[in-house]
Amino acid sequence: MFLQQLINGVTLGSTYALIALGYTMVYGIILLINFAHGEIYMVGSFIALILVVSYKVNIVAAFFAAMLGCMILGVLMERIAYRPLRHKNSNRLSALISAIGVSIFLSNLVLMLRGPQTTRFPDVIEYQFYSIGPAQISNLQILIIVISAALMLGLQYIVMRTKVGKAMRATSMDMQTAYLMGINVNRIVAITFAIGSSLGAAAGVLVGIYFNAVSPLMGTMAGMKAFTAAVLGGIGSIPGAMLGGVLLGVAEVLGVAYLSSSYRDAIAFGILIIILLIKPSGILGQRALKKV
Amino acid sequence: MINAYYLQVLTIMGINVIMALGLNLITGVTGQLSLGHAAFMSIGAYAAAILTLNYGAPFWLALLFGALVAAFFGVLLGFPTLRLSGDYLAIATMGFGEITRVILLNLDIAGRALGISGIPHSSNFSTVWILAVLSIVTMVFVGNSRLGRAFLAIREDEIAAEAMGVNSTYYKIQAFALGSFFAGLGGGLYAHYITYLNPSDFGFMKSIEILNMVVLGGMGSIPGTILGAGVLTAVPEVLRAVREYRMLFYGGLLVFMMIFKPNGLLGGVHFSTIRNWLIRIFKGSAGSPAGGSRGGTGAGEDAKTRVQEG
Amino acid sequence: MSKKRLSALISIGLVVVLALGALLPMAAFAAGELKIGFLGALSGNVAIYGTQSLKGMKLAVEEINAAGGVLGKKLVIVEEDDRGDKTEVANIMQKYATQDKVFAVVGDPTTGATKVAAPIAQQNKIILISPGSTAPGVVEIGDYIFRDTLLDSVGAPAIAKYAIQTKKWKRFALITSINNDFSVGLSKLFEAGIKKYGGQVVIKESVSDGDTDFSAQITKIKAAKPDAIVFSAYYTEGALIMKEAQKQGLKVPMVGGDGLTAPPYIEIGGKAVEGSIFYNGFSPEQPTANTRKFLDAFAKKYNGEVAELFAAQGYDAVKIIAAALKKAGTTDPKAFRDAVAATKEFPGASGTITFLSNREPLKSPVYLLTVKNGEFGLLAKVPVKE
Repeated sequence: MFLQQLINGVTLGSTYALIALGYTMVYGIILLINFAHGEIYMVGSFIALILVVSYKVNIVAAFFAAMLGCMILGVLMERIAYRPLRHKNSNRLSALISAIGVSIFLSNLVLMLRGPQTTRFPDVIEYQFYSIGPAQISNLQILIIVISAALMLGLQYIVMRTKVGKAMRATSMDMQTAYLMGINVNRIVAITFAIGSSLGAAAGVLVGIYFNAVSPLMGTMAGMKAFTAAVLGGIGSIPGAMLGGVLLGVAEVLGVAYLSSSYRDAIAFGILIIILLIKPSGILGQRALKKV
Repeated sequence: MINAYYLQVLTIMGINVIMALGLNLITGVTGQLSLGHAAFMSIGAYAAAILTLNYGAPFWLALLFGALVAAFFGVLLGFPTLRLSGDYLAIATMGFGEITRVILLNLDIAGRALGISGIPHSSNFSTVWILAVLSIVTMVFVGNSRLGRAFLAIREDEIAAEAMGVNSTYYKIQAFALGSFFAGLGGGLYAHYITYLNPSDFGFMKSIEILNMVVLGGMGSIPGTILGAGVLTAVPEVLRAVREYRMLFYGGLLVFMMIFKPNGLLGGVHFSTIRNWLIRIFKGSAGSPAGGSRGGTGAGEDAKTRVQEG
Repeated sequence: MSKKRLSALISIGLVVVLALGALLPMAAFAAGELKIGFLGALSGNVAIYGTQSLKGMKLAVEEINAAGGVLGKKLVIVEEDDRGDKTEVANIMQKYATQDKVFAVVGDPTTGATKVAAPIAQQNKIILISPGSTAPGVVEIGDYIFRDTLLDSVGAPAIAKYAIQTKKWKRFALITSINNDFSVGLSKLFEAGIKKYGGQVVIKESVSDGDTDFSAQITKIKAAKPDAIVFSAYYTEGALIMKEAQKQGLKVPMVGGDGLTAPPYIEIGGKAVEGSIFYNGFSPEQPTANTRKFLDAFAKKYNGEVAELFAAQGYDAVKIIAAALKKAGTTDPKAFRDAVAATKEFPGASGTITFLSNREPLKSPVYLLTVKNGEFGLLAKVPVKE
C-alpha cells in the first residue's frame, strides 16, 4: 500500500508542481505573488473544455489553444493591472492587491458565464494500467509526471541558457540596472507572464483531464497549494517548484494514509511551516544577501 | 434617517475597523506581511463565544478573554516564525490560518462543521464603536511611543534597526501580540453580533479581505486604515445596485484603486497631518510645515521612500 | 502637500459617493406587488445551491403570476447575492426587512446562513422557509422559521436497511465531508442505521467539499475491503470519488442521501456510479403529476436543463407561501404564519409536504433509488409516519 500511496502522492504533487512553475517564474522575476495565477489555470482548463466539448477539437490542439489563450490573457493582465503599478512609486503590496482584484474578477467572470457547477471533462484519453509490484500506475499518471518534469527542464533551459533567460535573470537581480544596460524590462516581464500563464493553462488542461472535473472555483485552492509548493521548494527556483510540489503532494497523501484524512490540509501546511523553520528560504532557495 | 439596515452596516464597519487596525500594526507599521489575520479573528470569536455559551461569562469578560487568547496565539506563532522574512513569513501565516480552520473543523467544542449557533446578540452599534474609538486611541498612542518608533524602524530597515539597538524579534512579537489582540477583539464582537460561527467564515479569503482594507486605505496610516475598512464594508452593499456584476466590479475596483492610488487612499496621512490641514484651513496659510509638529510619526517620515522592488 | 490634499479630497469624495449610493432608494416596486426575498449565494463556494433554488423560485413566481397572482397582486422576487458570507447574509436579511419590506423569505439553502438570517426574520415577523438546511437548530429559532427539506432521520435508516437486508451488503466504508454540516450530521445517522440493521462500518474517511483528489482515501478504503462506500455529502464529490474508485479497480457501489440525487452525479460519474443507491423525496423515474409538471416546465424555461433538488425545494417554498397566502386571505403576519404552519400534504415538486407542529417538514413517501443504465431508477417507496 505504501508504494501505491507514494504513486498517488507523486501524481498529485506533479499537478501542484505544474501550477507552481508559473508562480515561481513570475515571482522570480518581479517578486510578485501573482494571485491570479490560480485563475489563469482555471481559465485554461475551461478553454480546453469548451473546445473539446462544443467544437469537437482534438485534445492536443485544444491543449495548445488553451496555452495560447492564457498567454494572451497573462500579457493583458500584466499590461492592465501590474505594469502601471511598476512605474509608480508603489509598495509591493499594492501589486498584490491588484493581483487579488484580477483573481476575483476572473473567477466571477467565468462563474457568470458558465454557472457555478462542476462540469465533467470528457475522457479524452483511454486509461491503461501498469503494475509495479503490488501497486498500479495509469498512463495518465505517467503522462502528468513526465509532462511536468519536461516543462520544468524546458523552463530551466530557457532561463539558464537562452538570451531571453539571461535578460530575465538580470531583470530579477536589479530591474533598474538591467534597464540601464539596455534590457527592455517591460518586454522581459511581458514574456515572463506569457510563459508563466501558458504553463498555468497547461496545468489546467492536464488536471482537468486527470480529475475529470472543471469548475470556476478550482483556481483558489489550487493556487494556494501551488504557492505553498513554490515556497516550500524555494520561491524563484524552478527545480525548487517541482521538488516542492512533489513533496507537498506526497506529504498530503501520506498524511491521509497514515495519520488522519480529516486533518489533511493541516498536515500539509504544518509540514510547510516546519520545513521553513529549518530552512527559512525553502529547500532549494538561496538566502538573499541583504545590503546594508 | 438611520434604519436598522444602515445601523447594521455601520456596526460591521466598526468591527472591521478594529480588526484592520490590528493588521495595520503588523503589516502596515511593522512591515510583516500576514496572510492569516482571519485565524486570529476566529480564535477570538470562538474563545469568546464558548466562554459566554458554556460558562455563562459576562459579555465584556468574554471579549477580553477572546482577545487575550488570540494575542497568546499571536505570540505562540510569533516565536518560531518571526525569524522568517518577507514572503516566507506570509506563507507561514497563511499556513497557520489554514491549520486553524482545519482544527476548528475537527474540534467538538467548536461544533465542527455545524459551527456554534445561538450566541447571545450582545454587540450593538454603541459597544462596537466605543471599542473602535478606544482601539483608534490606543493605536495613535502606540504609534507615538517608543514601541511604535521601533516598529517603524523595523519596517524601514531591519538590519539598520538592529544595528541601532532595536531587538527586532522582540518588537516583532510585540506587534504580532498586539495585532492579534485586536483581531481577537473584533472576532469576539463579530461572534456576539452575527450570533453564529462556522470555520468556513474564517478562511483565506477573509484574511485577504482585511488585508485589502489596510492596503487600500494606506499602509501604516491609521486614518487610512479606518477609511479602507469603511469603504470596503460599504462597497459590497453599494454594489448591490449592479446585481450579478457585483463581484466583477469589486475585483475591477481593487485593480483600479491600486493603479490610481498605489499607496492607498490615505498613504502617508496621519492624524497629525489632518490636524495640520485643519489648522491651515482655519488659520489661512499659517499652518506648521508638514510633519514638523510634535506628533512623532509625521507625514514626512512615512511618505519617504518605501521599499520599492517592483 | 497639495497633492496629498488632493488625494484626501478624492478619498472623501469617494466616501460621499458611496454613502449617497447606499441612501438612494432601491428599485421602486409598483404598489400592487408582494415581495419575496431570496437568500442564497450566487457566487462563491456555495453558489451552486443558491443559484439552483433561485431558478426554482423564479419558475414558481412566473407560474403564479401567469395564473393571476395572489390576492389580486403579483409576486416579485427580490434577489441579493450573499456569497455564503455570514456578514452579507445578516445585511441582506436586515435590508429585506427594513428597506424592501418583504413579507416572506426563501433561503438560505445552507444551514449556517439560515441560522444567521432566521433570528432577524423572526424578530421582524417575516416568514422564512429554508429550501435546503437540514442540520438541527434551525426551526427552533422561532415560530416564523420553516424548512421544506427531506428529514434525513427517515431516509438514512431506510436506505441502510435496504442495503443490508435486500442487497446483503455487510461491510461499509463511511466517507464524510468535514466542511459540510449536512454531511457531518448525516454520517451519524448512517452509522447508527448501519449498526441497527447488523452492518459494520469497517473504515471511516474524511474529504472536504471542493476536493478533487481522493486517491489516498480510496487506496486505504480498498485495503479495508468494504461491500459498499457510504458517502453523506453531495453529488460532485460523490461522483469523483466513484471515478477514483473505478481507476483503482475498487468495484463497489455507493450508498448516499438525497445530496447525491442530481443529474450531474451520473453525468460526471458515468459508468462508475452504476448501481449506487440512495433516498430522495421524489422519484425522477416515476414522478408524480406535480413533479413531472415541474421538471418539464423547468427544462422549458432553462434551455433543457434538468432541475436539481434545491431547485425543486425553492419552487415548493414559493408555492407553499402562495397557497398559504391565498388561504389566509391577508398578508397580516400572524394569520399568514398560521396558514403556512397549517400546510398539510402539500403536493410539491420535491415530495408531499406536511409541516409538523414544530415546523419541521414531513415528506412522505421517501423513495429509494438506484442508478441503472445511466438513469435514476426506483427501488422502493417507504411511507413515513409522524
